[in-house]
Amino acid sequence: MFRRFKPLWGKKPGLKSTYDAVIIGGGLHSLATAYYLAKEQGMSNVAILEKNFIGFGGAGRNTAIVRANQRTQENVPLYKEALDLWPILTKELDYNLMFNNCGNLNLMHSEAAMNAARMNVCTAQFHGVESHLLDPRQIKELEPAINISPDITYPIHGAMFHPPGGVIRHDAVVWGLAKGAAAHGVHIHQQTEATAIHTDGGKITGVETHRGRINSPRVLVSAGGYSAGIINKMMGVKLPISVLTIQAMVTQPLKPVLHHVVSSGMYHAYANQTLKGEIATGAHMDQWPNYTTLTTAHYIKHQAEALSEFLPFLRGVKFMRHWAGLADMTPDMAPIMDGNDPVEGFYMNCGWGYFGFKSCTAAGRHMASFIAKGECPERLKPFGLRRYENHRLMGETAALVTYTPDN
Amino acid sequence: MRLDRLPTLRINPSETCTLHYNGKTSAGVAGDTVATALYANGVRVFGRSLKYHRPRGLYSLDGECSNTCMAVDGIPNVRAENTPAKNGMHIDAQNVQGSADFDWMGFMDKLDWLMPAGFYYRTLHKPACLWPFALKQVRKVAGLGKISPDFKMKGRYAEIYPTADVCVIGGGAAGMSAALAAAEGGLRVILLEARPWLGGSFDYRVSPYDGEKALYQRARELAAQVEAAANIRVFKHAANVGLYNNNLVTAFQVGPEGGAFDERYIEIRAASVVVATGCIERPLLFENNERPGVMQVGCAHRLARTYGLLPGRRAVFSIGHDLGLEAAVDLCDLGMEIACVADIREDGQNPDLLLALAEREIPLLRGWVAAKAYGAKQVKKVTLRTLEGSVKRQLECDLLVASAGRTPLTGPLTLAQARLRFDAHTGYFLPADLPAKMHAAGSLTGRNHPLAIEASGRLAGLKAAADCGANTAEAVAAAAARLSQLPGPERGTKLVMAPVKGRKSFICFDEDTTVKNIKQAIDMGFDVPELIKRFTSAGTGPGQGGIPGHNLPLFAARYQALAGATPVPTTARVPLVPTLLATYAGAHHDMCKRTPLDELQKRDGGVFRRIGVWQRARYFSEDFSCREEVLNVRNNVGMLDGSTLGKFRLHGPDALKALQRVYVGNMVKLTPGKIKYSAMCNEDGCVIDDGVVVKIAENDYYFTTSTVRAGETAEWFRYHTRYDGWDYHIVNFTDALGVINVSGPNARKVLQKVADADLSNEAFPFGGYREFVIQGGIPVRAMRLGFVGELSYELHAPASYMVCLWQILAAAGKEFGIRNFGVEAQNVLRMEKCHIILGVESEQRTNLLDLGLGFLWDRHKTETKTVGTVALRQVEADPARLRLVGIEMDDPRRAPRDGSILVDKRIRGYVCTARRSFTLERSVGMALVEAEMAALGTRLEIYEDECNGQKLAARVVPMPFYDPQGNRMRM
Repeated sequence: MFRRFKPLWGKKPGLKSTYDAVIIGGGLHSLATAYYLAKEQGMSNVAILEKNFIGFGGAGRNTAIVRANQRTQENVPLYKEALDLWPILTKELDYNLMFNNCGNLNLMHSEAAMNAARMNVCTAQFHGVESHLLDPRQIKELEPAINISPDITYPIHGAMFHPPGGVIRHDAVVWGLAKGAAAHGVHIHQQTEATAIHTDGGKITGVETHRGRINSPRVLVSAGGYSAGIINKMMGVKLPISVLTIQAMVTQPLKPVLHHVVSSGMYHAYANQTLKGEIATGAHMDQWPNYTTLTTAHYIKHQAEALSEFLPFLRGVKFMRHWAGLADMTPDMAPIMDGNDPVEGFYMNCGWGYFGFKSCTAAGRHMASFIAKGECPERLKPFGLRRYENHRLMGETAALVTYTPDN
Repeated sequence: MRLDRLPTLRINPSETCTLHYNGKTSAGVAGDTVATALYANGVRVFGRSLKYHRPRGLYSLDGECSNTCMAVDGIPNVRAENTPAKNGMHIDAQNVQGSADFDWMGFMDKLDWLMPAGFYYRTLHKPACLWPFALKQVRKVAGLGKISPDFKMKGRYAEIYPTADVCVIGGGAAGMSAALAAAEGGLRVILLEARPWLGGSFDYRVSPYDGEKALYQRARELAAQVEAAANIRVFKHAANVGLYNNNLVTAFQVGPEGGAFDERYIEIRAASVVVATGCIERPLLFENNERPGVMQVGCAHRLARTYGLLPGRRAVFSIGHDLGLEAAVDLCDLGMEIACVADIREDGQNPDLLLALAEREIPLLRGWVAAKAYGAKQVKKVTLRTLEGSVKRQLECDLLVASAGRTPLTGPLTLAQARLRFDAHTGYFLPADLPAKMHAAGSLTGRNHPLAIEASGRLAGLKAAADCGANTAEAVAAAAARLSQLPGPERGTKLVMAPVKGRKSFICFDEDTTVKNIKQAIDMGFDVPELIKRFTSAGTGPGQGGIPGHNLPLFAARYQALAGATPVPTTARVPLVPTLLATYAGAHHDMCKRTPLDELQKRDGGVFRRIGVWQRARYFSEDFSCREEVLNVRNNVGMLDGSTLGKFRLHGPDALKALQRVYVGNMVKLTPGKIKYSAMCNEDGCVIDDGVVVKIAENDYYFTTSTVRAGETAEWFRYHTRYDGWDYHIVNFTDALGVINVSGPNARKVLQKVADADLSNEAFPFGGYREFVIQGGIPVRAMRLGFVGELSYELHAPASYMVCLWQILAAAGKEFGIRNFGVEAQNVLRMEKCHIILGVESEQRTNLLDLGLGFLWDRHKTETKTVGTVALRQVEADPARLRLVGIEMDDPRRAPRDGSILVDKRIRGYVCTARRSFTLERSVGMALVEAEMAALGTRLEIYEDECNGQKLAARVVPMPFYDPQGNRMRM
């Protein structure tokens, strides 16, 4: 069964002078787009340019939670599509993405929060996605580790329970999609940095890399946290995106003890047990824009304090590893997926903030259709860049947020 | 049998303690770690490995791997080898089915061929129905320690935040020398040492330091000097775990038995940092290189010298460093039989040590290495081979001391953004450049000679003092000159692994990753160490990468040598040592705010809720519909604590301009004695705050904000006037002043009894502002507002008077039946009046016009560049927005739950607040709906959670529902 250990995403390809499409960034959205371009759109002469190695950025740093219980009707169907794709992709790619369909338990700490959650639950149920509100007693039955005592800073009033969600092995998705894309003929160029995008007469003509020039009529920038910088530098477009460092950490591995993804907005923390047994936890974003990907002493302490309250058994567990990645935040906490406007052949898929993992496959699939046909698919229309110009924010967040490019 | 007379011992054999392990009690002595106590009782197998359930034993004594991770008193993954043994501890082996010695899962070791690198990605998903079952099994077999979901952590945890001029990490000879040098001029120095004593690698060694002293004596001498220095603060048993920007150093300290804390979190801000963390050993890669009985040089040596335990009877050494020779000689002197010493090096050994070996007739094989260890649960036999593998020899033994060389502990440096570079001479990853105000010293720089170690420490300490402004230039030059005359850095061994295939040569013990697995990963395209780490999980276990940290990059580079690969280190992460959440949480202060009336309201039966930073009384009975509270306000008079309201004074010559910039209303028209209700928008025209503004005097204003915005308001003003250079001041009175709201038809009667002013409707009408005194002593600012829709006085008074004021009003209102009402009652009352609460009747994207508050916007004041008005003009005609409307349910008995959605074929809006009104006996509420459905009379369908498609019917009705003319608040 394992006699041969061949390169998973093919031998290192040479850089061709011409591709039908070039994708800048070697993360999940890029790999998914390339995979579907080759598989469903018949466009396999595609190059992925990755400065480091595939999955270096957010793709390998997120905590791999998937769910489809967002707030708005523009988002829920996209995330639901992605949720339904995991088992299909596991089969298609012949690669175990290790979907742990454990369900998400989102704790609420006030009457007002329960009301806000109700809107998400109603939206989910209206779209045929399973999601319920629970009271503290039901929470305790479901997840005995949770502390429902009233003697904590933010006593638990209830929760939003979303059984179809769970956790995926994020690295496996990177490698599986790379395997699938390469099998369909996509060239994955690691350690290859794009340095400029060429246009002529309002049309894309190619991409400059430090290994040479590539001609191509189509360029997609989907480089996660680095997209806004790349698009600004190479296309002169300033996007309404703030790039912030976001942190996460894991504890030492334990035998099964936590059976759902548990999160709390009030404590600003989520926690879930990975298949390896570690408790993965995080959520904090720096309050000022930066690309450092540095962790802070303040946050690991905050996280310990928060978890001590709502999952007190963790006080006897040790933190083992703390890391950070980038979140490219838009003002309405929804991504920007757009293209062909005003430069023909230029596409972007960015602004995914800290939630880019969950629907990467569905977003990549629609972006592939967009790039191949030049027409924006219906599902992506609400995510156009011009919504900001028209003051039509998405409504994905109820509360005011101040992630503007100026803060 | 302890060696109980050694001068190097850190135990006290005369004091014993008892541990409970495996159904038996084991006796240890004071100073033992859990693992040394068990070792003394004959325990050799401490637990089983993650994947293959291989027996694991004592290997490093510094917790570099999970071999001796055990459950101690219910706490999983405790590193037994450096956890002090305490009387009565209950110890359990981990990852065993049965016992550590007899684990029936041991057969897994035979199945390694089924589990190559990343096997789980390539299996268990076909057919798809298999995965859910496989998943459960994967979860069960994964994970090391066990903890109960209702586990309650015992013990006391503290935190301290000291500052220092110089912080030295590492209390060995280099660190102590650095601390002493830095402290010479009187600077404040902190010294962190992970072990419970100072001394580092000198502490247990009897080799000569100079002509007179042995190393351990020198260590104690330095320690005495350090402890005696008044300006050096020593934290022993304090492991450095993090290093951040600007020399923020974090550590955790284990408290002494019976002390004030069990563990405490230490966060140090230092002007300069010296890293003198020393080296650990680089594991030797050969077959069964982690079998119990195989241990590192330092481990074997320290077991004898520090804990008085001879680690075995007959030992074979396979080493690549003089420390190995030194240990062989010393252990021989202590009574152990040394069968043979295989040294990787062909030459370069210390001649004194060679002589000592010869004197003891210990055979030395140069250019030889251990290739395989035999023995099911403990080493019984060893095969030695020449480096190229051509000749082999087998020896019987019960101990194999194995070490490929040393590797520096550079974690603190890389956390501070130092870049590492592979140094071919030492074979170490050494910092290519050090961050500002950070210095490295001691053996981690590649120096081994005791004098060089101290000299490098002294040099680093003096440089650190210079960072703090001390004039040490001459001393630095002298120290540098001295160091340059001392030997080192010494050449390191090049050997990466013994000449074997590597099926059972473990590069990472914690994750059971073999050399073969690494080859498989590289063959599959995972060609950089960071990717190999992710794919094989090597280095991601509880040992924090201590075992594979150096070997993984070296091996990956060697395996890809043809492709021109150079060794690239993996990334070190915080915490460098696994740290309990309880320790990180420390004392855990909750910094919530309480209003001045907190105690009184509790006494009156208030049910409190945390709202943002505040604790507020939400209800005053167990009836959360608040019927009594609501009706008492409508029919009589109630009192609400509104102290959380944001309160600000804005004054100065340009104060008016600042108001005009952020408020949509025209503040030029303000006149003293009158209040103006207004709103602030963001750049998108979305409402971020509402409140009232009062002109107190010329260029002097007082205004209120919502509770949640109070913290951000001053910044908001400054941000939006940052380019104007205006002269104004903003003072946040939120905590300095309290607020009481007296509302209801009898409000005037209550207040008139105690106020020194005429409160008649003519003298103090609706919308008025007055300042007067209550009962001859309490100055109040009073506003006549109508948030709840009744005659209402909002009284602002200094926080210190609030209790008194509340009691006066309560006494005055007694004859009218005054009573408290809470935040929820207020919510119902204002809903009936359709007065909005931002964040409830608005979402992030809701603008001023959507809320029907366009009348607040003065469109003529264009020159003020009011924030948000550009956007408001642009969207004025946009038909596709959500608008706030009043709704009434067809069924008057039942209001929809807040947050329910409005639907037809798609979602068209949602219910913000809806209640069955006790006053009106109708079910009414407010909702945000798409503009085309906002017309009066439009039928709406409401979809509640769990409604199964049974929608509720409602229609759009005029707002407000209660007292539409507003007569009651004007009476």
